[in-house]
Amino acid sequence: MSTPVTPPAETGAAGDLTSPEKRARTGPYRVVVVDDHAMFRSGVKAEIGRTVAVVGEAADAESAIKVILGTRPDVVLLDVHLPGGGGIEVLRKVHEVNPDQKFLALSVSDAAEDVIGVIRAGARGYVTKSISGAELVDAIRRVADGDAVFSPRLAGFVLDAFSGSIDLATVDEDLDRLSQREREVLRLIARGYAYKEVAKELFISIKTVETHVSSVLRKLQLSNRHQLTRWATDRRLV
Amino acid sequence: MWRQADSDQQKKWRAEAGGRVWLAPFVARGGWPALVRVIVGLGLVGAAFGIVLAQEGHIDQLPEVMAMTTLALAGLAVVLAPWLHRSRTALNQARADKVRADARADMAAHLHDSVLQTLAMIQRQSDDPKAVQQLARRQERELRTWLYGEESPETTLKAALTGAAAEVEDERGVPIEVVMVGDCDTSDSVQALVKAAREAMVNAAKHSGAEQIDVYAEVDDEHIEVFVRDRGSGFDLDTVSDDRMGVKGSILDRMQRHGGKANIRSRPGEGTEVRLEIMR
Repeated sequence: MSTPVTPPAETGAAGDLTSPEKRARTGPYRVVVVDDHAMFRSGVKAEIGRTVAVVGEAADAESAIKVILGTRPDVVLLDVHLPGGGGIEVLRKVHEVNPDQKFLALSVSDAAEDVIGVIRAGARGYVTKSISGAELVDAIRRVADGDAVFSPRLAGFVLDAFSGSIDLATVDEDLDRLSQREREVLRLIARGYAYKEVAKELFISIKTVETHVSSVLRKLQLSNRHQLTRWATDRRLV
Repeated sequence: MWRQADSDQQKKWRAEAGGRVWLAPFVARGGWPALVRVIVGLGLVGAAFGIVLAQEGHIDQLPEVMAMTTLALAGLAVVLAPWLHRSRTALNQARADKVRADARADMAAHLHDSVLQTLAMIQRQSDDPKAVQQLARRQERELRTWLYGEESPETTLKAALTGAAAEVEDERGVPIEVVMVGDCDTSDSVQALVKAAREAMVNAAKHSGAEQIDVYAEVDDEHIEVFVRDRGSGFDLDTVSDDRMGVKGSILDRMQRHGGKANIRSRPGEGTEVRLEIMR
């Protein structure tokens, strides 16, 4: 596959700090697939290979870090359970060198602690491995554009975590509480609505939906670590 | 009677001594051999002191005798310690090995009964993608339950709802994704809610043609809501005849009987969403 390697063209506008990712695209999104199952990697490549360029693969944490830093893809599809430290290790090490690298977490486990763990470590989204090819491409596009991707399950986790299961008395109120609108958006996503459908349902634009989801992601990443972890371990699974 | 009990005891002692009859009285735990052993042992120690004291006839030599004995015992201990330690470690190791081997055998048996059987069935039905998908989903669910030990009895809404979804998925071959926020114990009305939700899933699987069904349930302090949604063909609510028992009897009326509500949103081409609600 000979995709022209577009150098990470810096956006000139210094004022456009909100979305420096929105550069003009030339060619397909460049993706690295990190998963220890070769069968899964080739399956994903077959499904999305026509729409995006898979520029690298890795089967363990160490080689993943090397490949990601070497190729600087738009999005890394990252298996949560990876030999040699797991997905979180990859996230941490890569972000030390390149804090702008975007990750989309993939998992079969559905365990709340895994999912929340990888999101808090800096992944921009989480989807289950049973996702269809078209949906996965959509999720990659969204993450590459700087937005967050929540599966129904992740939305459910977040609602659960923020709905009184966590004691709010000791923590930053603004951060650990979802706004009414954010809750509405998450509930629709948990009910299986695509962003487009959420927008239609709430009479808002898709962009606004994306903003709400990104804001929830930020709260999730910044809120009280101790309590969130405890919630996740108490809860184990859906 | 006494004889009977006695011979049972003797069998046990023999077992503890590893089948060696002559060793049995020396190692058996509890019962009269232990008592006899302690008495004889103490007697021997006493006799040793007695001999020394009798020979010398002087009570003031007691400290020296004691020191001698202590030294002798300490020497023995030093000599025997490594051997004792080794045999203990070996015993523990053997025990741990056995536990591990048992766990492995359990796992092998389980994988054989479940995963290998499923893989065999998948190979046989490889020309029928639907059947393969269904087999894989069922196996996945089963394996997940086994791995994460989630076999909670159906006394909670979550267990009942995921159970119902699993049944419909198996019967109809359409994947159903269940997302829960909160949970509660079951009651008559909760069970009615689950049955209505199940009917909604069956309808979606049967009529909508959708590739997946999403179920979302949320429990808060006051009420319980369940949404069953598909992105299938949808239908015009006005054209559904009253005699379609599924929707009317199983969903709308059932919810009303239990003091709840049900409404259905559907339009041709836009899929269907059934919303069920009851107060707690």
